[in-house]
Amino acid sequence: MLLTNPDLGLFVFIIIGAAAVFCSLMVVHAKNIVHSAVYLAGLMIALAAMYVTLNAEFVASIQVLVYVGAVVTLILFAIMLTRRSEVP
Amino acid sequence: MTQTIYDNIVYLLSLVGISFGDSIVPKIIIVLFIAILILVEVSLMVMFFTWMERKVLGHIQVRRGPMITGPHGLLQPIVDGIKLLTKEDITPKRADKWLYFIAPLIVFVPSILVFIPMPFGQGAIVSDLPVGILYIMAISAISPVGVLIAGWASDNKYALLGSLRAVAQDISYEIPMVLTVIGVVLITGSLSMQDIVLAQGEKTWFVFLQPLGFIIFLIAAIAEMSRIPFDLHESESEFVAGFFTEYSGMKFAFFFLAEYAHLFGISAIMATLYFGGWQGPLIPGIPVVIMSVGWFTIKVLAIVFFTIWLRGTVPRVRVDQILSIGWKVMIPLALLNLFITGLLVAGGVL
Repeated sequence: MLLTNPDLGLFVFIIIGAAAVFCSLMVVHAKNIVHSAVYLAGLMIALAAMYVTLNAEFVASIQVLVYVGAVVTLILFAIMLTRRSEVP
Repeated sequence: MTQTIYDNIVYLLSLVGISFGDSIVPKIIIVLFIAILILVEVSLMVMFFTWMERKVLGHIQVRRGPMITGPHGLLQPIVDGIKLLTKEDITPKRADKWLYFIAPLIVFVPSILVFIPMPFGQGAIVSDLPVGILYIMAISAISPVGVLIAGWASDNKYALLGSLRAVAQDISYEIPMVLTVIGVVLITGSLSMQDIVLAQGEKTWFVFLQPLGFIIFLIAAIAEMSRIPFDLHESESEFVAGFFTEYSGMKFAFFFLAEYAHLFGISAIMATLYFGGWQGPLIPGIPVVIMSVGWFTIKVLAIVFFTIWLRGTVPRVRVDQILSIGWKVMIPLALLNLFITGLLVAGGVL
């Protein structure tokens, strides 16, 4: 509805792209591994939003369902069930 | 045919004589107005649910529930809200400050976003997404991440154990839920929520076409909503309050709101998928929009009443029982339901 406007569509795309780049940098640079996992979830949601701006809603839904719903949850689960030697 | 709230607002404005061409600012204002409308609708329903839960539980237990504020305690939710707003917002010393702050939002935002493709009535839908039900399933898969973060960031063993339990339960019951939804989608031939409602107008309510699927969906839905037979994440006798043990004030209010918005969301999905959504007999003289929203609200309230009724009568199950039922009974039954539905659809019966 709104995204059909070319200027606004480009604006939204740039914002989402910046968020995706920021999140992916933070996945690598975060000191705490749980923070990394949360940034990974943010990155996946930003990618899904990018698919929506490209009118690919099905891919976006599957992206969120598989990556955020399953992969990131599994990663967080694994982090919490493993023993850590020192508290960061 | 699939009108949205946006179209209706533009139509109403054009009746008054206001129209706008290509300018983008009024469109953004209308979209913001719709967003606020949905937020208000969800908050009002949540407030009503909390009141209803106390009243129904009270009457089940042969007492009267809240009676002081307003007629039959109707203003009790407002008083509760003010209490939560004015409480001190405590952050534990050893908590992870940033994650502790963001966790309630990660749980709350998806529970509201679920309402975007929800047909509240004929012409009362925010956006009839072509991937409607898949979008709903995807969005509601985000909130377990917030639950895990909340439990971990609190740095409290009860909170961590509670969140692990909650997420284990959520992900194991999401699978049978999605598998039963596929049955409905097979019959309809479309993922759009509005199409699912319209298909039930042509055939019959899917609760009659999918009885096994409905029972599996109901059990999975109660587990997803964490209502009492399956409310293991906050079983008071084992954990203090589950993953939000450490939360207070407004952050707690967000978890509370999210929980009841989730209840509303899943009840609305159930009403749409199995009970014909906004379809119902119309009374001549009353506009279709108002009647259809009324029918939808009545169906949702009936389902919410059923869950409260369960809470008043059924004891809690153990954690190993709940997980083994989920994986060993629910998923095979859901697959069986999908198999039978697929055969019937392929044979041209449904």
